[in-house]
Amino acid sequence: MKINSKNFIPAAQVAIHDPDLQKAVSTGTHSGFTKRQAAMFADGHEHGEAMRQQAATIKRYSLSILPELLEQAEENMQANGIKVLWAVDAEEANQHVLEIAREHHVQSVVKSKSMVTEETGLNHTLEAAEIKVLETDLGEYIVQLGEETPSHIVVPVVHKTKASIKKLLIEKAGMPPTDDTEEMAKFARETLRSRFLDADMGISGGNFIIAETGSLCLVSNEGNARLVTSIPRIHVALVGIEKVIRSVEDYATLTQVLPRSATGQIMTVYTHIINGPRLAGETDGPEHVYVILVDNGRSEIYTSDYCEALACIRCGACLNACPVYQITGGHAYGWVYPGPIGAVVTPLLKGLENASPLPYASSLCGICKEVCPVDIDIPRMLLDVRRDLVKMGESDLIWDISIKLWAQGMRSERIFTMLGQTASLGQNLISKKLAGPLSGWTDYRSPPIFAQKSFHQLWKERRGKSNEQP
Amino acid sequence: LRKNLSTNYGKNGEEKAMSSRDKILIQLREGKLPFSGISKPDSYRAMVPIDDKTQPALQSQFIEQAQMASCVVYQAMTPEEAIETVLTLIGEEKTISSWDPEHIPIPELAEVLDNAGITCIGQDANVRIGLTGIDAALAATGSIVMLSGEGRFRASSLLPSVHIAVMTAEQIMPDLESWWAKQKNAGLERLRQHSNIVVITGPSRTADIAMELVMGMHGPRELHVVILE
Repeated sequence: MKINSKNFIPAAQVAIHDPDLQKAVSTGTHSGFTKRQAAMFADGHEHGEAMRQQAATIKRYSLSILPELLEQAEENMQANGIKVLWAVDAEEANQHVLEIAREHHVQSVVKSKSMVTEETGLNHTLEAAEIKVLETDLGEYIVQLGEETPSHIVVPVVHKTKASIKKLLIEKAGMPPTDDTEEMAKFARETLRSRFLDADMGISGGNFIIAETGSLCLVSNEGNARLVTSIPRIHVALVGIEKVIRSVEDYATLTQVLPRSATGQIMTVYTHIINGPRLAGETDGPEHVYVILVDNGRSEIYTSDYCEALACIRCGACLNACPVYQITGGHAYGWVYPGPIGAVVTPLLKGLENASPLPYASSLCGICKEVCPVDIDIPRMLLDVRRDLVKMGESDLIWDISIKLWAQGMRSERIFTMLGQTASLGQNLISKKLAGPLSGWTDYRSPPIFAQKSFHQLWKERRGKSNEQP
Repeated sequence: LRKNLSTNYGKNGEEKAMSSRDKILIQLREGKLPFSGISKPDSYRAMVPIDDKTQPALQSQFIEQAQMASCVVYQAMTPEEAIETVLTLIGEEKTISSWDPEHIPIPELAEVLDNAGITCIGQDANVRIGLTGIDAALAATGSIVMLSGEGRFRASSLLPSVHIAVMTAEQIMPDLESWWAKQKNAGLERLRQHSNIVVITGPSRTADIAMELVMGMHGPRELHVVILE
């Protein structure tokens, strides 16, 4: 997928003035946030917190031995009959899929939701090779019909109202007009079902790979991931290298923390553990299963100070909770991963210079860390990325000068006192609205009122008094 | 920050010297491994604390949770009662997708279906009813665990719009954690003999359109669980 993160501010302004988007995103994020709180803390706050810390420890420990776990996972997956491929970057990952498709004479592909394939732009590669690709998650199907990109990790069309989805289904898929959500879903089910049965290849992502058993794990509610991994004769999963975990105990915790954080469910409807292709005596299931382990920038994050970002289990809780995401929606972020975690990983995966506005798309309120099921310190990382951007010279000249002047003033008692007095005396002389580049500040809030006397002055006066009356 | 890994590629012929696998693993091992101060958890808390793990308590918890996940649950005191329930659910259908009889815990069922003129097939996209057994049920989440295998078709619990799962009360376990502990005791090698494991919690659903819940998106719209005491 092409990156457009430099355009964050204008894109956010468009989103803020789009009433449909505002309504849809507000409903979606609020619902996700409320349900998450209820599910995470269903057995009390202490227990919910303990589970969050347990999940955090599990992911960090797995990352601490990641190279070893990848080797173990590969060995065990191969023993289970899964073919394992490695891809350094997006191009190599797509190339692997194309080669598999050619080897097995694949003409049509059905896909279940996968953020990694959004990263690699797999659909375009397949379509260019004249292989038909169909997204089957209802949200992703709508995204594909609208020739858009998902705006949320878990709810791809959170930015769309029912009315606009209805319009799209009628115009692009030939749905008979209806306002009934059930009818719309039924239409999509029937349209997609025949395509499932005819498809040669199913492509999925992967939520976890258990190293000790060589199992590929997925979660889904609609059942499309089950169809994708069960009906076509070939199944290919593209999985980021950071998804490998150590043990089945780790898995039991993570696969229950994930849906609680994502949609507020205690379990997703289908929690899959895939050990390999169909075995002798089985009449359904794929004949071949491939797992492509995708790096695409992750190994560089791994050896940087931002390794913690790789603990992310892609639940979307930080998106739902974020006051910035709640009003901008996901598209403004300009790449695959929006919201607070996107503001961290987009610059890291695509180059800081290509995503410089994103680390500033945060009020640093800290709720993203608070709701994160693996306790990723996103606010700290946002500050660190800002620091790196400044070091690279990727900062505004006005900001640079202002901050330097401010630092000068703060270091000199004389200038500090003088500035305070000037502000205190001068505020009556200027209007309540600031002009020029500072107007953005006072458009939506009143300027602060400076006290007549500074704390410094008051301290001197009062101490003087108390000294007189011992 | 971004270093081009492909510089490890030599000119013609040397390309085979380093596979992508090696490149990735070498890059990961380049620096000091992260989180060196973190050790694995000494013990694991279960996601759902369960105070009473006696069989009757687990059974009522399973029923309650399965109902919350929108399953319809039936308790049958005798095999005859279970058969009656299954027949009622099948209704007028003459062809169903069903697991082989030895994997469904009512021995008499196959004969009854046969006598009623109901044909059981492995997989067909057009049947309305799917009939299966289960491997285990989880009280904490109201889930059923299904292992794939010979005569245990994935399609039966996936393609039809109504899924009927028949189980015995003894199959109820506390939670996913205890299910895995049992598998580990029996040897994970044994579990890996099953190509596909799925933990099902309620019927298929979506909320992708304006967060409105719709049942039966791609999988079954109804999940009926028949518990034989």
